[in-house]
Amino acid sequence: MSKLKSIALWAYVVAIMFPFFFLLLLSLSSDWRYPALLPEYFGLKNWVQVVGTESGLAYSFFISLVISLSVAVTATLSGFFISRYVSYHKKKGLLTMLTYFPYILAPVVFGACLSYYFLRIGIFGTTAGVIIAQFIIAFPYALIFFSSFWNEKIKNYENLVSTLGGNRWTTFTKVLLPMAKGLMMVCFFQTFLISWFEYGLTSIIGVGKVQTLTIKVFLFIKEANFYYGAMSCCLLIIPPVVLIYINKRFVFNKLI
Amino acid sequence: MRYLLFIVLLISACAPNAKESEINLDQLSWKDITQKAEGSTVNFMMWQGSPVINDYINNYLIPTVKEKFNIELRITGGQGPEIVQLIMGEKQAAVKSGQVDMVWINGETFFQLRQIDGLWGPFVESLPNAQFVDFNDQFIGIDFQQKVNYMEAPWNVSQFALFYDSARVTTPPTNLEELEDYVKANPETFTISNDFSGMTLLKSFLSELSGSPEGLNGPFDESKYEKLSSELWEYINRNKQYFWKKGTTFPKEHSKMDQMYANGELLLGFGFGEGGIEEKVNQGLFPKSTKGYAWENGTIKNANYLGIAYNSTNKPGAMTVINFLMSPEAQLRKASPDGMDSNTILDPSKLPSEWQAKFEEMPKRKYGPEMADLEDKAIQEPDPKYMIRLFEDFRTQVIEK
Amino acid sequence: MKNRGYIGILFFILIGITPFALSFGYALLYSFGVIGVANSGFTLEFWKAVFESGEFVKSLFYSIAIALVSTVISVSLALWFTLAFEKKLRGRILSFVIYLPLAIPGIVASFFTVQVLSKAGFFSRLFNKIGITSGISDFPDLINDPYAIGITLVFISVVMPFFLLLFLNVYQNERVAELAELSRSLGASERQTIWRVSLPVLIKKTWTLIALYFIFLLGAYEIPLILGEESPQMLSVLIVRELKQFDLSKISEGYVVAVIYTVIVSIATILLFSNRKSQDIHE
Repeated sequence: MSKLKSIALWAYVVAIMFPFFFLLLLSLSSDWRYPALLPEYFGLKNWVQVVGTESGLAYSFFISLVISLSVAVTATLSGFFISRYVSYHKKKGLLTMLTYFPYILAPVVFGACLSYYFLRIGIFGTTAGVIIAQFIIAFPYALIFFSSFWNEKIKNYENLVSTLGGNRWTTFTKVLLPMAKGLMMVCFFQTFLISWFEYGLTSIIGVGKVQTLTIKVFLFIKEANFYYGAMSCCLLIIPPVVLIYINKRFVFNKLI
Repeated sequence: MRYLLFIVLLISACAPNAKESEINLDQLSWKDITQKAEGSTVNFMMWQGSPVINDYINNYLIPTVKEKFNIELRITGGQGPEIVQLIMGEKQAAVKSGQVDMVWINGETFFQLRQIDGLWGPFVESLPNAQFVDFNDQFIGIDFQQKVNYMEAPWNVSQFALFYDSARVTTPPTNLEELEDYVKANPETFTISNDFSGMTLLKSFLSELSGSPEGLNGPFDESKYEKLSSELWEYINRNKQYFWKKGTTFPKEHSKMDQMYANGELLLGFGFGEGGIEEKVNQGLFPKSTKGYAWENGTIKNANYLGIAYNSTNKPGAMTVINFLMSPEAQLRKASPDGMDSNTILDPSKLPSEWQAKFEEMPKRKYGPEMADLEDKAIQEPDPKYMIRLFEDFRTQVIEK
Repeated sequence: MKNRGYIGILFFILIGITPFALSFGYALLYSFGVIGVANSGFTLEFWKAVFESGEFVKSLFYSIAIALVSTVISVSLALWFTLAFEKKLRGRILSFVIYLPLAIPGIVASFFTVQVLSKAGFFSRLFNKIGITSGISDFPDLINDPYAIGITLVFISVVMPFFLLLFLNVYQNERVAELAELSRSLGASERQTIWRVSLPVLIKKTWTLIALYFIFLLGAYEIPLILGEESPQMLSVLIVRELKQFDLSKISEGYVVAVIYTVIVSIATILLFSNRKSQDIHE
């Protein structure tokens, strides 16, 4: 049994790491056809070709980071606080149920319909418009995410702190935030990634004037040349990996 | 609080209608137009999935129009359906100042945009470089049996072609009978994508069944379509057990077919741009043994175009850029087989002799056929109704059976 | 305090609910041809067309089956990993590694799956090299396949890592280890402890998110687009196919499908919640 268990654990770790290595290898390859197990060409050709013909990749990276960080921070924090109001509200059940509705409308349809109102209101083609649009998607997610956090136990803690003379600020900083930090981390990443990988709505609301990295490289993934596709995948997933690393190393560890 | 929000919404609801630019071409000379364009920004929505095209745009077009006309050209990603969706959305929301000025479209999108009056024009005859284009050429002046009427400016012209891996297939099929033999001998190495490209191939098949390359010309003919298409579905259903995945499903997109050809799963492929193989072989995607060829009864030849959105706020700017894209200089650069590798829409006989010579000196393709080689096998794009019906019936008569 | 609560709820309604309500209204009007540039006024024709084709029903059941199977497998796997490796997964390296799958979005996972599991993909080549298969056609159909194996695999690979992180967090927050300890000291067997204590706590705390991810999978687009068959198609793929179709006069059919889908899932959600509520009272 324990042998089976450790095989399972190793298999999971390998399954997680394999795509990263394989995509990197594929992005450095060319002339790789069945039944060859290894590519005929291995080198930087694809990267040089695509990076050389694209302009402003660095700027796109920067603007993506700004958008995603704004969305993730605001959605996580507002989701955390507002879910408290929702959870403690008399009509908690009804409100929680309503939170699901944005997702009941399939995202593709939500995007198509929402874009009409964005066009109507005139907030498109700007970074702010894109942030608002992505926030609308990320916020209900954060709400649902935190809804399981608030319960009688937490409420009792809150009451206890105020009985002991702590104000609301100490309640949050000393009790609630430390208790929620693990969940907040996961929520922060999920909302960051929702925003980072958002394509449909961003392309409509941003109409090419807000060129996020995803908008720039997404296209190659669906095109014929899968070597370029693999390269685009790398460009998309490396920044979040680095962010996870930094966060684990410097933020998360300090919190503990 | 609530009232405040309402007011904010109300104010912003009026915002998109604030500015509008309508110009009257009758009263403006070309010089006036370029003057108006000077220092402006043009938003160009186009497909960005190819590095060689992006290279042409980012490293040649954008700096050149900046230098020559002081125009800031901004590229927006989006092809056919996205362009239609955006313009339809803007129309729906009554947006008067649109987000894009010029769009790169093919006949399919042109047909859709004409239906919703999404294009501004006619403007093409006002462009100085239009003098080098032969609008009587049926492959340029007519798009899907519809007169272009100067509503869109031709940019590239290309012919649909098939290709095969000559290292693994010795004689590729050139008609339906040979295709039947081919799939039986090489099962699961051929399929038809359920998209624009696949339907274009089916149009060639329909044309063959009609008995002549001109068989589908003219307006849509219901009884002709019924007869030919039922023969076609019968043919496909009879043979689809030898297609990719035994014909239980078909690839959604043409790019997926190219991928499967690239890794060796398929041995036959097809596409516009005389097969579009030059770039893909150069990239190391397709094997060097890839060869392009035309169908015996002919394959569709058509042009793709540049249009101006009905609500563009910078029509003079868009016209200036489009005119430049039609210039001998820009067209020559685009024709290089190492670059964008696309055929010029200019009529060489109308060009000044120095330019004629330059076009002639252009090196030939190494892998793909030249358009001139396929010329006698070119057929016209039939009425769009054929495409609508093929899309519908390919699903109900083949995929879902 | 009272006032603040009011603002919180207002914000919630404004951002959380209004966009949905507006979008649903838009889809509803579009489905009846009231709006839409290529439409010419109120008609029931699109609704009739959708019901007559029967494609929607097939697509709905197909989507529910795939989403359900994927959710159940993902949750089970994640629970098993949580209970089996709770301590190990908090180690320095593993605690970083288990976050990594979050960085891979559905489209990248699908792209990767095509590259490794297609008939000419990496594993097919590997099997060919070591002599298990003798050519492309020997390799099993794993993507664009009739049993949606490819879609299910990628769904699991995208969702399961998230549940693992979630369960690990809840495990710690709810002090499941201590509860389990307590239950064992009271004489419960290992089996009883897992089934009667640990699992119920983990699931009770997370069922809202499990339900949410089921809905996500039901409405997923990119993954089934790349890995699915042309027929039947998952709902979002079907809807987008209709919305982006060549024949502009039939776009409304896409909105019809969207509206029916939304209504059905809404009803299901309402039922789920009202059930849940009565259960909560009994507990």
